[in-house]
Amino acid sequence: MKNKKINGIQFEKMVRNGLENLRRHEDEVNKLNVFPVPDGDTGINMRLTLESGVKYAKQNEVLAHYLKPLSEGMLLGARGNSGVILSQFFKGMQLELARCVVAGPGELRNALIRGYRTAYASVIKPVEGTILTVTREGIEHIRGQINRATAIEDLLSMYIAEMKKTLNYTPELLPVLKEAGVIDSGAQGFIYIVEGMLGWLCGDVLSESKEPENRKPAAMKQLDFSAFNENSKFSDGYCTEFILQLMRDGSYIQLFDVDRYIEDLKHYGNSLVVVRDGSRVKVHIHTLRPEKVIALSRQFGEFLTFKLENMQLQHNEVIKAQNEEKKLPHKELATVAVVSGEGMKQLFEELGCDVVIHCADTMNASAQEFVDAFNRIDADAIVVFPNNKNVILAAQQAQQLHGGRNIHILPSRSVAEGYFAMAMDIPDNDLAYRISNMKNGLRNVTTLAQTTASRDCSYNDLSCRAGDEIVMKNGELFTVDKDWLEGIISALRLTPDIDDMETCVIFCGEEAAEEDRDALTERLEEEFPLLEAELLEGGQRHYRWIIGLS
Amino acid sequence: MNKFAIIADGSCDLNEKYQKDYDIRIIPGHINYPDQQDAPFILKWENSERDAFYKALSKNPDGFSTAPPNIEEFKRVFTEYAEKGEDVLCITISGGISGACGFATQAKNEVVKSYPNARIVIVDSLRFSAGHGLLVILAAKLRASGHNIDQVAAYLEENKNRIHQCGWLDDLSFVAKKGRLTHSKAFFGKLAGVKPIGEFDYNGLTTVIGKVKGAKKAYSVLLNYMENTIVNASEQTIFIAQTSRYPQAEKYKEMIMERFHPKEVIINDVFPSCGINIGPGLMAAYYIGTPISKGLIEEKALLERIISETA
Repeated sequence: MKNKKINGIQFEKMVRNGLENLRRHEDEVNKLNVFPVPDGDTGINMRLTLESGVKYAKQNEVLAHYLKPLSEGMLLGARGNSGVILSQFFKGMQLELARCVVAGPGELRNALIRGYRTAYASVIKPVEGTILTVTREGIEHIRGQINRATAIEDLLSMYIAEMKKTLNYTPELLPVLKEAGVIDSGAQGFIYIVEGMLGWLCGDVLSESKEPENRKPAAMKQLDFSAFNENSKFSDGYCTEFILQLMRDGSYIQLFDVDRYIEDLKHYGNSLVVVRDGSRVKVHIHTLRPEKVIALSRQFGEFLTFKLENMQLQHNEVIKAQNEEKKLPHKELATVAVVSGEGMKQLFEELGCDVVIHCADTMNASAQEFVDAFNRIDADAIVVFPNNKNVILAAQQAQQLHGGRNIHILPSRSVAEGYFAMAMDIPDNDLAYRISNMKNGLRNVTTLAQTTASRDCSYNDLSCRAGDEIVMKNGELFTVDKDWLEGIISALRLTPDIDDMETCVIFCGEEAAEEDRDALTERLEEEFPLLEAELLEGGQRHYRWIIGLS
Repeated sequence: MNKFAIIADGSCDLNEKYQKDYDIRIIPGHINYPDQQDAPFILKWENSERDAFYKALSKNPDGFSTAPPNIEEFKRVFTEYAEKGEDVLCITISGGISGACGFATQAKNEVVKSYPNARIVIVDSLRFSAGHGLLVILAAKLRASGHNIDQVAAYLEENKNRIHQCGWLDDLSFVAKKGRLTHSKAFFGKLAGVKPIGEFDYNGLTTVIGKVKGAKKAYSVLLNYMENTIVNASEQTIFIAQTSRYPQAEKYKEMIMERFHPKEVIINDVFPSCGINIGPGLMAAYYIGTPISKGLIEEKALLERIISETA
């Protein structure tokens, strides 16, 4: 029988299935990235974002109560543009369903509409031909066909079918997609999620390929009892978990009704989960009165296992842990920068950066990482360098989540821009002067990034094959060559105003060998004697060289 | 009677020729190399030696260190003159960055005990390298023109705050590490492509008063700054100190000659005793100009205006 309504538990299962479906297609989504550099991370970023929400949210029968933490977790864990848009979509759904215990077709339709609208509103310059278009047209084209009798399965099927139509049309809307011969990766990722969600309703349950991190409370031995003492205020109750074996014996009441049992338990606490498996009942509840829960349950049977934990203790512990990590000394102005590569981390630290968010592989810092960084800092003003155009949104999201107290996001699109901006700072001056100086540093920087193409691609009337040496200029394919050095030299020659530029900071990547460095500096001196080239140890992946010109 | 000795510690970076021409006595300090304790103190070298030294320093900045002449060394020299009955004017490196001035003062106090008639005047130059050297040469010129020790000392005290440093220090990691900068240490690594403009503050420390991206713009900002701060340019001998920036210094010299027509522009080396603490990135002109304001407030505002006006 098809579902006319879904509750929180069903929705959780759907989301988990959606996540699993995305996981299985993650590589495929990554490879849809428009640019032929091997840092395609749309799939990873969307997965990490959704995963963060799933980990954060506890099971709850009430849909609204499940959606709220899910959306919060996603907002905090959002990575990259696609992740931010996805998290905003779920935030919109959550807002629409904020009072719903269950959702029927009408509510779900409205939630899908609110979802895309919220996503649009979160992007300063919405680009058509992306996840935004797909989520909008997907629901707008079918909204008239949805009525009270529509089953959730049918609604989602239509939704998916419409989104796929639009997805195939995205190359027409977005020239970069057409040139690269691909469809939009974020939109594709989103469709995989919804397909997984529908799949669960239709009985196509995917087993989890990766066990999510256990967020259950730590074992007793790790608890620090000093966090709860005779002066503490007890307000959080006990996390109570047990498996109850129902008994046939005459001393127990024979007629056990699980729905009735749930209703009774609700009087004693929240975060309630009750799962009946034959003659056993598994229960999870947060309660201030565990004795009532025990008394009620023992009317029907005996405990197979029982666990009772003082949640105040955990809570206090978390606060303690947070405080311990926090304390950076007070400063007038503190800086946060996102980098990838050990050398980069060191360079930014040497420049005086207070918190360097180090991404191991690709630049995909999450809003949560920014919020954590902001929390550690005690400063009158915080200046943030996202150092990648796909990280700017996550930084802005974090700014909002954090409350935005004097946080300035300087939209650096590359580490080179961030480096020049930070290098221009002059401490011991007033804040406005320092920030404007850093902003000036950001200006007129051209970034060239050299790498080996991971696949065939054409863009801007240029085409390259996998294995070609390519140079990206400010994020766009600029030159293609068989030889990396020749590629860089021709990119420099083609750079407008190259004759007026005089500083050239070169961040050497992980793969930049010693002899390559010598060859590069020699050639640069020959070809551009007026350019002051300086090599710095970047250690970044993917890009052999990142060159900042100014 | 204006016969008196002018003595300076080795930080003034005046080579043998100046010592001879202007009759200046140098008290060397101490320098340590990674492989050599108390290496010979030098105020003279060839281009190749300079390049080799700064290259080695860049590779191993922690392996090099310096110390000013100690009290005993000052004492010995002062005593030598006291015995002859000759007065001494001793001009030291900035007290803000070195203990030399304190040591010299203590040495003087001890020497005066044994030689009550000895006359020793200590002047804290509040400067280093060519800035210090410039003051020493000014003193020598005044002496040659007949001024007595008190007149010369009074002139130095009155005018030392008018010696400007107009140039860049593009590797601040050395000055920061050795505490020879007003700013907090944490902030200054190696700055590729960005030229911090350094000026002497009221207390003789170097302060970054602005930053400019790229050498070309830096030159024109520096010349504009000099134009606004120099006094009687055509009568001056301007020093350019450079650690390992000789080609840039030559370019700078040409521009200064063309724009201000001073009597002379001299490119001077920065020898190890100063160089170890400054690092390879210094290229700056030293000249007499307007008095430097407290906290460099006026100079900072001036430079800010110049930077925004210079395209």
